[in-house]
Amino acid sequence: MIKAENIVYEYIRRDEEGNVEGIDRVLDGISLDVQTGEFIAVIGHNGSGKSTFARNLNRLLTPTEGSLWIDGLNSDDMENTWKIRQSTGMVFQNPDNQIISSVVEEDVGFGPENMGVPTDDIWKRVEDALNAVDMIKYRSYSPNKLSGGQKQRVAIAGVLAMHPKCIILDEATAMLDPQGRLETLQTVKALNKMEKITIILITQDMEEVIYADKVFVMDHGKITMSGTPREIFTNEEALKECQLDLPQALKLANELRKEGIDITEGLLTAEELVDAICQLY
Amino acid sequence: MLRDITIGQYYPADSIIHRLDPRVKLFFVFIYVLSLFMFGNLVSYCLATILLVVAIYYAKIPVKFLIRGFKPIFVLLIFTTFMKLFITDGTVWFKLWKFTITKEGVIDVIHILVRILYLIIASSLLTYTTTPTRLTDALEQVFKPLNKLKVPVHELTMMMSIALRFIPILVEETDKIMKAQSSRCMNFSSGNILKRIKNLVPILIPLFVAALRRADDLALAMESRCYQGGEGRTKMRILKYKRQDFFVYILLAIYFVFSLIIHLLL
Ligand SMILES: Nc1ncnc2c1ncn2[C@@H]1O[C@H](COP(=O)(O)OP(=O)(O)OP(=O)(O)O)[C@@H](O)[C@H]1O
Ligand SMILES: [Mg+2]
Repeated sequence: MIKAENIVYEYIRRDEEGNVEGIDRVLDGISLDVQTGEFIAVIGHNGSGKSTFARNLNRLLTPTEGSLWIDGLNSDDMENTWKIRQSTGMVFQNPDNQIISSVVEEDVGFGPENMGVPTDDIWKRVEDALNAVDMIKYRSYSPNKLSGGQKQRVAIAGVLAMHPKCIILDEATAMLDPQGRLETLQTVKALNKMEKITIILITQDMEEVIYADKVFVMDHGKITMSGTPREIFTNEEALKECQLDLPQALKLANELRKEGIDITEGLLTAEELVDAICQLY
Repeated sequence: MLRDITIGQYYPADSIIHRLDPRVKLFFVFIYVLSLFMFGNLVSYCLATILLVVAIYYAKIPVKFLIRGFKPIFVLLIFTTFMKLFITDGTVWFKLWKFTITKEGVIDVIHILVRILYLIIASSLLTYTTTPTRLTDALEQVFKPLNKLKVPVHELTMMMSIALRFIPILVEETDKIMKAQSSRCMNFSSGNILKRIKNLVPILIPLFVAALRRADDLALAMESRCYQGGEGRTKMRILKYKRQDFFVYILLAIYFVFSLIIHLLL
């Protein structure tokens, strides 16, 4: 689905006259391979280049060096712009700033309208997309009357209506309350399971990472670690170096172990921890 | 104060007027307002009143709601009325202390009041009964021929619909910023005019910064959803005239021609 070979991205800082003042190498030789249908999480501290990477995947930016294929399309080629943007949809952080229309269903139809889909087809896509995120009840609502989680689901529906192969969520849950996070995450998980849509979840919240098939850790524009969540979280030292934390349950388990309570290694979720503790007594 | 602005607000209801094609309503308001200013005689005002009452009745909009639209211009209206009333020269009707009220003055005031009030009622009826998207769709359709003159019709209407979507958000944001500044002992409701204007700066600057950030985000979101201007774009809603739309057009034509004839005869 996505194949990156040594991609580099540089922001060029210019002064008022347009002379080059300095070059920021934000992505520094990233190589990775994502298969269709995988659930990927990307974590990294602020400014590590996650958003820049995401924008490269959607051809909002193009790599300065290296090569990037998305769904078999070379991102170097201008002609592929619209195809790439259609096959990889983006959901952004601020729910208010990505909804374009004053009515939910019209916003969902915005993508297909831009792609030139025939009118009848648009309505079908809109209905299917709203059903998939369980927002069909709110089809004629104004986005201003929805909660944060509902707005993000509308944004996901807006992407779904374009029939993408991959959805990138760039800290899409960061501005939501716990309920909104849960709704959004469950929607994404369901899409991954049922529709086999590749998910790339960029997040700072370690609890969300647990459910991913594979995790990439970014630090200063490089991928410093990759593997299953279990593999990543057992390497606590390396995570600390990237200024990242462990999920709550894992942290608790480690603390308990330090206190001499015998808890099995490598558990991640709260449920697993509860089970492990129950087995002790 | 900000909440009193009713322009662009929609009143959801299921009425005949709501279901009319937005283009019909657009034309109707245009011709109606034109007729108000073209023909200033008693008969045409009566006709205009009947038309307006019928429209309000069928639109199922509470009168209270319509009147709310006057609030922001109320002071202005009173002011112009008094100015006109006391300043206009002509045949004196009666004297009140130093002021004289003339026949011409009274007639002028009636003209102004009828025209302005009807103009506002008619245009708020339009926005109350038409969703912003339908309205911009209508504008885009109506002005499509201007595309040939290189007028960016699609872009302008897109701008309008985005503005309508973000007005409530920005109003809310202004409210938040005002509260934040008030909690820092900023006072907005006292001091002379100069001071009050100065006090607006700490509101306007954060508001502008926030709006620019939103615009940046929104542009990115639109691009990532394949937005590339009006070309090659299909529409979710295609405007199509129905029977009742033609009926209203005919009604409008009758009204206009009738008023014109009376105007020419008188
Ligand atoms: N338009 C830009 N011009 C110049 N530099 C930029 C631009 N956008 C981002 N940067 C720089 O690139 C670096 C990486 O930014 P990026 O937004 O990709 O990080 P991030 O991992 O998404 O961070 P966050 O977690 O805060 O969202 C930062 O140091 C930032 O200052
Ligand atoms: Mg970011």
